[in-house]
Amino acid sequence: MSRKLLETDGAEWVKKGIISAEQQAQLLDLYPPEKPTIGLLPLLGSLLIALSALSVVAASWQNLPELVRLGLLLGSLAGSYVAAEYFLRRQYESLGLGLVGLGLILFGASIILTSQMYQLIGYDLTGLLAWAVVGILLTWLYSSRFLFLLTVIIGGIVQGYNTGQLGVFSYFTAALTAGGLGYYWWRRPDAVLGGVLATGLLWQTALLINHLHVKITWFFVPAMLIYTAGDWQTDRPAARALQGPPLVAAFLFTLGLALFGEADAYTDRLRPPLLAYLAALGAVLALSLWGKKLRGRLSGATDWLLLLPGFYLPGGLPLTVGTVVVLYAYSGSVLARAHQEQNQDRVTLGTVLFVLTTAVAYFKLTWGFMDKSLFFLLGGILLFGLSLLLRRRAAQTFKNVG
Amino acid sequence: MPSETFSSPTSIPPVATAQSALPEARRRVGMWWLLAAQVLFVLAVAVAGYATGALGETITLHTTPIDPRDLNYGDHLNLSYSISQIPGGLWKGGALPRRKQAVYVVLEPQQDRYEAVAVYSQEPAVPAGQVVLRGWVNDVFRRSMRLRYGFEKYYVPAEVGRKLKPKQLLRVQVSIAPWGQARIKQVDILPSPKQAKAPL
Repeated sequence: MSRKLLETDGAEWVKKGIISAEQQAQLLDLYPPEKPTIGLLPLLGSLLIALSALSVVAASWQNLPELVRLGLLLGSLAGSYVAAEYFLRRQYESLGLGLVGLGLILFGASIILTSQMYQLIGYDLTGLLAWAVVGILLTWLYSSRFLFLLTVIIGGIVQGYNTGQLGVFSYFTAALTAGGLGYYWWRRPDAVLGGVLATGLLWQTALLINHLHVKITWFFVPAMLIYTAGDWQTDRPAARALQGPPLVAAFLFTLGLALFGEADAYTDRLRPPLLAYLAALGAVLALSLWGKKLRGRLSGATDWLLLLPGFYLPGGLPLTVGTVVVLYAYSGSVLARAHQEQNQDRVTLGTVLFVLTTAVAYFKLTWGFMDKSLFFLLGGILLFGLSLLLRRRAAQTFKNVG
Repeated sequence: MPSETFSSPTSIPPVATAQSALPEARRRVGMWWLLAAQVLFVLAVAVAGYATGALGETITLHTTPIDPRDLNYGDHLNLSYSISQIPGGLWKGGALPRRKQAVYVVLEPQQDRYEAVAVYSQEPAVPAGQVVLRGWVNDVFRRSMRLRYGFEKYYVPAEVGRKLKPKQLLRVQVSIAPWGQARIKQVDILPSPKQAKAPL
C-alpha cells in the first residue's frame, strides 16, 4: 500500500466508518513521506557537465603523464564513494546507491586502464577477479538489489573477457558468483534477484560449455543444478524465479529440437556419452526430487519432462514426434497445475506454451503434404479453436473460485 | 518504532528490512575499508607495472608481420613473435606438453634480438647471458608448438598507430621482472625496404 492511496482514499474510509481518524493517522505513520527527490533538471545538468569533463579527459588521455592519469582514476573512484556516503547519510537512498554503483564501475575501469598504461594484460585474471569480489562485498555491505544486478553483470563480463580474450575459464569467478551472490539470494530470497542470478549463471555456464568444446547438451547439467537450488529454497516466489531461466532454456532447446532436429547431420553433436550424461543428470534429478519432497512441491517434478534426452532418438520423424509429445506433456502439466492451484498467471503461461507447441507440431507434421493456403487456413482455425477452448476452461476454473 | 504497533511480521515496511541488514556505523566502516582496498589494489597494479619496467631485464624480440587493420576494431594490436612458434625439437621435457600447460622458454641473444633455444616444463637454471621467459602452450603440432606469453596485446599510442603499414615488422622491448612478470616496454617500427617497393 502506498502513502498516496492512504492520503487520497483514507478520508473516504473515515467518512464511511471503516477506520477511525486515529487509525488513519497511525496508518499514515507507517509510511513516512519520502524525502523530496533531487530535481531532474539539476541532475541532468550535472550529468552533462560530467560528460563534457569525461570527453576532455578521454581525448587527451594518451598525452597525460602517467601520474596524472592514475590520480584522475583514483580521485574519481574515491570521489564517487565519498559522495555516495554523503547522500546515503542524508537518506537519499537511490542516489547514494547509484553512486556506489558508479564507484564499482570506476574500479573496474581503473584496473583496465592502469593495466593498459603499463601494457600489463595477459597473465592477470586477478585484476578482473578483484572487480567481481568487490562487487559481491558491496552487495552484502549495502544489501542492495541494484548492486546485486550490477555484480551479476560484472561477473558475466569478466568471464566473457577471460574466455574470449585470454582463452581461459575462471572457475574461481564462477564459484564466487554462485557462492557469494547465491548465498545472498538464499538468505534474502527475492523473485527479481532469483531471475537475474539464474540468467547470469546460465551465461557463465554457456561460456564454460563453449570453452570446453564439449557437446552442448552438457549445459543442462549445471543449468538443472541451478534449478535444483530453487527446489531447496523455502521462499516459493523466489524459487520459481530462479527456476525460470533454466526452464526457458530447456523449453527453447526442446522446441528447437522439434523444429530442426530431423537433420541427423547435427544430432550427433548433441549426444554426449549416454551413461555419463544420464548419470550426471540423474544425480541432479535425485537431488531436485529430494528437495521438492522436503518442501512439499513434488507436483513440480513434471518440469523435468523437458529434460528427457530425446536427442538420442534417431533423427527424422521419431525425433520430431518424440519431442512434440514431450512438449505437449510439459505444457499440459503446466496447465493442469495452474488450474489446480487456480493461478491466473500460470494459466496464461500454460496456454501460451500449449498453443506454441501446437503450432510447432502442426507446422512440422503437415507442412510437407498440404497445399499452402489450406495449411494456413486449417492451422489458423486450429489455433483459434484451441485458444478459445483453453480460455473457456480457464474462465470456468476461476468462476468456481469466485 | 511504527512496526511495534503491528503484531504480524509481514506489516514491517520494506525500509526497515533494508536497513536492518547491517548497523549504519558498521556499514560505514566496511565501506571505508573496501574503498581503501580498491585504491590500494589499483596502486598495486600500477606499482607492479612500473617495477617490472624499472627492475626487470630488458630483452628485444621481433614480431611477425602485423595487421594494422586490428586497430579498426579497437586500440590494440595482436602481436605474434618469432618466439611464439617454437620448433618441436627445442622441447626438453619428457612427454609432449598439453594445451594450456605452463612452460619455461630459454632465450639467447642472436644478432640484434633474442631467440628461443630450449623449452622446459620446469624452470631451469641458466648461465649468464640467457634469460627464462614463462609461457603457456596454445597448440601442439607435429613439428612445432604455439606459445602464448601474455604480452601479445599491445595498446598502441596514437602517434605509433599512424605510422603502421600492412605487414609491418616490429621490434619489441620486453621487460622481465625477477618475479617472472613480463610486459612490453617499448615498440619500434622496423624499416622494411622490400615492402616499400612492393606494389600491393
